[in-house]
Amino acid sequence: MASDSPRVAAQTLASPAMRSLALAAVFLASAALCMLGYLALAAPGPWFGAARTLHWNPKELTVTRGSALQTREGLVITAPDATSTVVIAFNTSFPSRDYALIAWDAAGVPDDIEATLLWFNDYASSRMFRRTLTVEAGRIAPAFVAQDRDWLGRIDGLALVLQGSFTEPIVLRGAAAKPMSAGQVLGDRLEEWFAFEPWNGTSINTLTGGADMQDLPLPALLAAIAVVAALAYAGLARWKPHFFGPVFGAGLAGLFVIAWLIIDARWQWNLLRQVRATDAQYAGKSWHDRHLAAEDGPLFAFIEQVRAKLPAPTARVFMVADAHYFRDRGAYHLYPYNVYFDPSANSMPPPSAVRPGDYLVVYQRRGVQYDPSRQRLRWDGSDPIDAELLLVGKGAALFQIR
Amino acid sequence: MEYLALVFGLALPWALGVALLLALDWPRSPAADGDRSAGSAALRLGYGYFIGALALTLWMHGLSATGVRFDRISIGAPLLVAVAALFAWATRRNRISVAAVRNATSALVRPQLTRWQQWAWMLLLAWLGLRFASIAAEIMWRPLYPWDAWGQWATKARVWFEFGRIVPFVRADVWLSTATAVYFDAAPDNPSTVPLLQVWSCVALGRWDDSAMNWPWLCMLLALALAVYGSLRSAGLSLLGALIGAYLVASLPLLDTHAALAGYADLMLAGIYTCAALALHRWVLRRHACDAALALLLALACALVETSGLVWALTLVPGSVVAVFPRRGPKLVAFGFGAAALVVLAFARFELALLGHSLHLDYQPRWHSLADAYLFFGNWHLLWYAVIALAIIGARRLVRPPLAPLAMVVASGLGVLFIAFAFPSAMSVAEFGTANRATLPLAPLLTCLCVLLWRELTMPAVAPEPQAAHQPAGSDSAVAAHA
Repeated sequence: MASDSPRVAAQTLASPAMRSLALAAVFLASAALCMLGYLALAAPGPWFGAARTLHWNPKELTVTRGSALQTREGLVITAPDATSTVVIAFNTSFPSRDYALIAWDAAGVPDDIEATLLWFNDYASSRMFRRTLTVEAGRIAPAFVAQDRDWLGRIDGLALVLQGSFTEPIVLRGAAAKPMSAGQVLGDRLEEWFAFEPWNGTSINTLTGGADMQDLPLPALLAAIAVVAALAYAGLARWKPHFFGPVFGAGLAGLFVIAWLIIDARWQWNLLRQVRATDAQYAGKSWHDRHLAAEDGPLFAFIEQVRAKLPAPTARVFMVADAHYFRDRGAYHLYPYNVYFDPSANSMPPPSAVRPGDYLVVYQRRGVQYDPSRQRLRWDGSDPIDAELLLVGKGAALFQIR
Repeated sequence: MEYLALVFGLALPWALGVALLLALDWPRSPAADGDRSAGSAALRLGYGYFIGALALTLWMHGLSATGVRFDRISIGAPLLVAVAALFAWATRRNRISVAAVRNATSALVRPQLTRWQQWAWMLLLAWLGLRFASIAAEIMWRPLYPWDAWGQWATKARVWFEFGRIVPFVRADVWLSTATAVYFDAAPDNPSTVPLLQVWSCVALGRWDDSAMNWPWLCMLLALALAVYGSLRSAGLSLLGALIGAYLVASLPLLDTHAALAGYADLMLAGIYTCAALALHRWVLRRHACDAALALLLALACALVETSGLVWALTLVPGSVVAVFPRRGPKLVAFGFGAAALVVLAFARFELALLGHSLHLDYQPRWHSLADAYLFFGNWHLLWYAVIALAIIGARRLVRPPLAPLAMVVASGLGVLFIAFAFPSAMSVAEFGTANRATLPLAPLLTCLCVLLWRELTMPAVAPEPQAAHQPAGSDSAVAAHA
């Protein structure tokens, strides 16, 4: 750590300002060296005069097999065809030699899905070429096609084939052909590091630190830069101890703090963007209106209607929903009523546990049937019980057990 | 007006803790830059919040047990009287004065540093101010957000606020079969400290507000930063060095996230656990009974905050053994670690059972995920790189006074984390949550140890001499103190 003592500082010939400049120079030189080393490995394309990256947005993609919906999020693949296959294709016209990598921007891809890239070129226009893609962490890894012997001539069309069980919707936000030039690779990395990471359900457990998938995580790069800079600084300190001070001194600590400050600046920038988003969503609203503006606003609004129908808070209320989130969150909004919900499974309460006078809130839950003429309620094949329908909402209802 | 009441609600536990510490004359020995420095004040303010918050919730327990309803008067008035009495008592004994407050403020705003260091000091304070302001905005506007916060913690706060007392929460089978008024949520066995803090915020505010009730989380982060600064100062770090240490802790992204997305107990556990360990380190350096008492009190309080708090409190034991017996302690602890490793190995190797419960531990480590969480994601900035580098460079310093006790605490904590990650079933038993959340209580202490180790490596002569424990002549502590 830096010393406060002017006496210690005076032992070195260089002024603190000069030493700080030297420190910054060592760090910058190390950063340049590390980045050049990375680019030498990761950017096989031409470093200068490279072609521009080509992008295709979801509207340019055609679903030739299976079904999908165009949404604001992108192309949402909803179901495969009879052979459990989905094919998304689009026409292109670019010289293969200029583009080394094809990247699909997809999310929610299950691990058991088989993904394949197809293309055809003007050399053998009747043939379709293929390359198996890797699926990891719900995404499709980019395909480095430059060294493929069939990546030749002009590429006239690209397609993505997905095969497997489509249990959840897959979102496709587009595709890109990249030249893998130094500028493009560096731009991609910067984009990944500074991608806005808004709060989500997993933020309390983990922060990715930018984009979900990063080819070069910023902490790893900064650690490498700090190590190289530290080694260089140690060498310089041994060479000119009067200028740089001791090897184990404020200099090395300073290099580490610079690296920490850089990564912390990214985090602060992300926080500020989050504050702006939070401000736009909630600022100036009352507690009640903030809940209505939240992600679960419709649920909160329905529970508010339920509360208006319920008697004093000691009443017992069962909260059921198919979705874990709605079940637990609905229960939270119901407190201080004496709420019961299943926090671990989508189950209905055992009919034997439900007593006359209890209430049942059903929110988007299949398998609950009500016969209004006989005022009988049953769920999941159990025996019907007497109940009165007190409130109906969109896919939701409140019953009182009698 | 209601926000003034909320400010009063936040200030009350803080003032109570500071007043208690002043009455106990803690910290007794001044920080290294003299009694007029901000170091002692930071220690009191930092530790004061956690102690005050614990005292407040214990008082609320007492009120509930005696059937007195929670309201501003029943909770606030007696504590306010206690604060006033303790401050008056401390003032009469010259433990606080206007001059001392002025000097501490002056040391914060205009410390005695060279010009470039003053610039660095002011920029770092401004940067920290921006961080705290960003977190404050999130707390102020965002309704309760993270899952367990509204599934396990605020559920109790909501019910207790409404009824004005602590109402029992029970497990599902009990709830379904009982006829009495008991409540249920996703974690009915969770300790009551955190919900009671939320209840007090709402009581002070005068209404239920699941955003405003989370202001204590900002206080926790601020208090932790202050406690770290004061502890590093008292351990002999320079003004700027201690501030950098506090900044490193306060800038840990996951720690910030737990303050911004408030409602979990992890941040409070991290604060109390770190304060306990740093109080132990202070005791090693000074051997004042107050430091030991504080370390013990805070260690016991860990279990009041979170179920896993008991495990974390136990990790302080090896450090305490080394602190009390500086020569024989490391051997004892090494023997204990070895025995624990053998027990874990036996549980992993054989199908052992106790009273019908299987004790078998399945070795299913997910090192790849752990590496991502520690080294490649944005959770801890560069903390784990620094830990690895410093462990290599300074391993020998870690097993010698004065850092050995703190290093033993951290080693025990890392051992617990290793078991939790290598044997996921053990993780669920101790209710650690995910890998990063399990690491959260240890991360601030680990950061402090890194800073202290670096200081030991660079300026060993500046460190305060560790004091020998008061033991009979011939005991090992005196030998080790001069080792």
